[in-house]
Amino acid sequence: MTDTGQTPGARLGLKNRTTSDENVRQRYRKERRFKLLGQLALGSAIGMLVFLLVTIVGNGYSGFFQHEIALKVHLDPARLKLGDKRDAESLARTSYGNVIKDALRSEFPDVKGRTDRRALSKLVSKDADTAVRDAVLANPEIIGTTQTIWVKATDDVDTFLKGHMSAVEQWSPDVAAKLSLEGDRVRITAAGSAFRDLQPADGSSYLVSINGGVVKLIDVAGGVAKGEVLVAPRDTATTPAGAWHISAYATPESDRRLNDKAIAWIAKLQAEDRVENRFNVSFFQTGASTAPESAGIWSAVVGSFLTLVVTLAISFPIGVLAALYLEEFAPKNRWTDVIEVNINNLAAVPSIIFGLLGLAVFLTLFGLPRSAPVVGGMVLALMTLPTIIIASRAALKAVPPSIRQAALGMGASRLQTVTHHVLPLAMPGILTGTIIGMAQALGETAPLLMIGMVAFIVDIPGGFTDSATVLPVQIYLWADSPERAFLAKTSAAIMVLLAFLILMNALAVLLRKRFERRW
Amino acid sequence: MLDTLKATTLPSTEVTGLPTPMLSAHDVCVSYSGKQALFDVSLDIPQNEVTALIGPSGCGKSTFLRCINRMNDVIDGCVTSGTILMDGRNILEPSEDVVQLRQKVGMVFQKPNPFPKSIFENIAYGPRIHGLANDKTELDGIVEVSLERAGLWKEVKDRLNQPGTGLSGGQQQRLCIARAIAVSPDVVLMDEPCSALDPIATARIEELIDELREKFTIVIVTHSMQQAARVSTQTAFFHMGYVVEVGATEKIFTNPEDPRTNGYITGRFG
Repeated sequence: MTDTGQTPGARLGLKNRTTSDENVRQRYRKERRFKLLGQLALGSAIGMLVFLLVTIVGNGYSGFFQHEIALKVHLDPARLKLGDKRDAESLARTSYGNVIKDALRSEFPDVKGRTDRRALSKLVSKDADTAVRDAVLANPEIIGTTQTIWVKATDDVDTFLKGHMSAVEQWSPDVAAKLSLEGDRVRITAAGSAFRDLQPADGSSYLVSINGGVVKLIDVAGGVAKGEVLVAPRDTATTPAGAWHISAYATPESDRRLNDKAIAWIAKLQAEDRVENRFNVSFFQTGASTAPESAGIWSAVVGSFLTLVVTLAISFPIGVLAALYLEEFAPKNRWTDVIEVNINNLAAVPSIIFGLLGLAVFLTLFGLPRSAPVVGGMVLALMTLPTIIIASRAALKAVPPSIRQAALGMGASRLQTVTHHVLPLAMPGILTGTIIGMAQALGETAPLLMIGMVAFIVDIPGGFTDSATVLPVQIYLWADSPERAFLAKTSAAIMVLLAFLILMNALAVLLRKRFERRW
Repeated sequence: MLDTLKATTLPSTEVTGLPTPMLSAHDVCVSYSGKQALFDVSLDIPQNEVTALIGPSGCGKSTFLRCINRMNDVIDGCVTSGTILMDGRNILEPSEDVVQLRQKVGMVFQKPNPFPKSIFENIAYGPRIHGLANDKTELDGIVEVSLERAGLWKEVKDRLNQPGTGLSGGQQQRLCIARAIAVSPDVVLMDEPCSALDPIATARIEELIDELREKFTIVIVTHSMQQAARVSTQTAFFHMGYVVEVGATEKIFTNPEDPRTNGYITGRFG
């Protein structure tokens, strides 16, 4: 060994000590940078999730609520075409449309003409019929009397009241107003700048609620406004400051599904505290409907449940048994390798292919009923099988071989080893995989479209062979509907679906925590 | 056929000068996926004695041990030939029932591997699957006797319902021994039972082995020559898949016949 006076590092061509300090600093910089990138990635992921949830909840929470109108319904036996009959069947069979129409007309006696009358009867939902019938069936004694019954508003009224139809600005001028009739026109005189120099010709609508009536402004000149009477005021007494108000609707009347008259009717009902935004219970009780206010999620929930029951009943035993056989009993040779590769490939097959298979085999070849949960469940079971098999095999592999050896060494047969020791230890993992597979199946749409589960299902499915739809398909159908009110319904349905998914994932976590054993 | 086999095994007993063999291996060959690991191993295991199998890593001593309770069966591609006689039957015969065999030949593994269940369940499992207890009282008795024999009863009698995995390493290994002897086997195989334990726990296990030989025939694989010298009465030295030398432990460690044995025990290789 020759001593040239150099450090060993220098002899090898390495840099001196100071650069190695630089290396250390560089290493720390790199680590900081990496950590920052990771935090950025995590932050943006959380941000997107929050954005998604906020959007859905923001759009959807109003879907759980529905405006209802208190109608004073006179249950006239003649208009109900009941005669002397009061038995439940007659009461259930007869139409309550007439008395509802009468109730609305008596509310607004000034409304004349077919178009206006039709618009008036469209304030309340077709469901009003059911609400009145339910009230009568609950207490037939009320026939012949006048009852206040809360009925649902139509989707247009609901959308308008939720502020989705037009931007609304409302103010109560702090001066008194004087009302005077001029033919079919009305003149409102108010001091100061009560009318804020409104320009009724600009396309917006300005409605003045005064003395129990509603006036649409046509012309404003300083403190004097001329308008058209939409709902007649009680009298022409001078109205004190704060007791009258002006509403401005930015969207032109022609672009709205509710005209100014309808808005005026609603305004009058509102002024009498007869409009309320109530929790929409029937959203969780009914099925699909063309009318958004009557549409519910329940038939889709039941359809999803029935479908998942079939999926679980088929895929869980088959999947777990297949995994057990492959992992614990099958010889490891080329055939099992081929099977393993194919199971993994199956997990990557687009789900619509399974739908095509279901269409060709289950519907066409086996002649099973279309749109039925049993077929949907079978198709989803095919799709879920690989997930369950792969998760179960991973769970079985994770059981330490020493446990198997211990059991075999004790003289347990292979089956006893598996059922007494390996399977219980692998169960948390298997269940987690199964629940995740089920959650995947719950959110699946494409394969079900192929087997006709995209149907319009009004009734709650009562069995596995009834026509049914599932939550994601219902969401898809509603998202496709033109009515504005379905937008909120779509988001509300997504929230229901998300709630189920979160519930299932929480269950998976709980099961894993509950049954996890240490060794 | 059996008579002739018995006859051939007799002379070797006379050679070692030890009591009647519990097990008698003859020309045992084992290969894993075509790679031969054991070559014509012939060995007698005397009854109620401790036989130590020593040798360098990969010499086939564990493979031979696992032949005795057919644990090699579960390894894919493992082929075994030859005979191991026990009570006049060739236990390597494929028609031989491994479940019954493993009841007679218990095993303790290198790493303590109690079931992730309670201490009681660990011991009760064997008697239960073999139907050795008719009722709960009998089962309780078996559990107590087994733990007593494994020298663990005093330490765990108040916490039989606690998980076996919560015990210390040495206690776990004694629990595994208790579990193995709970089914009253004739032979207990031990595959390096102390390699994962500290010296004190090791000493405890060695004492235990000494006590257990009164009831059981013990075959122990060990890497520690001191341990072999301490616990065994017969020692077999394995090398490259062959049994190089078998004999009384004292003789093997003081006056080995084969130079390879001498080299191994004096620490020149292995």
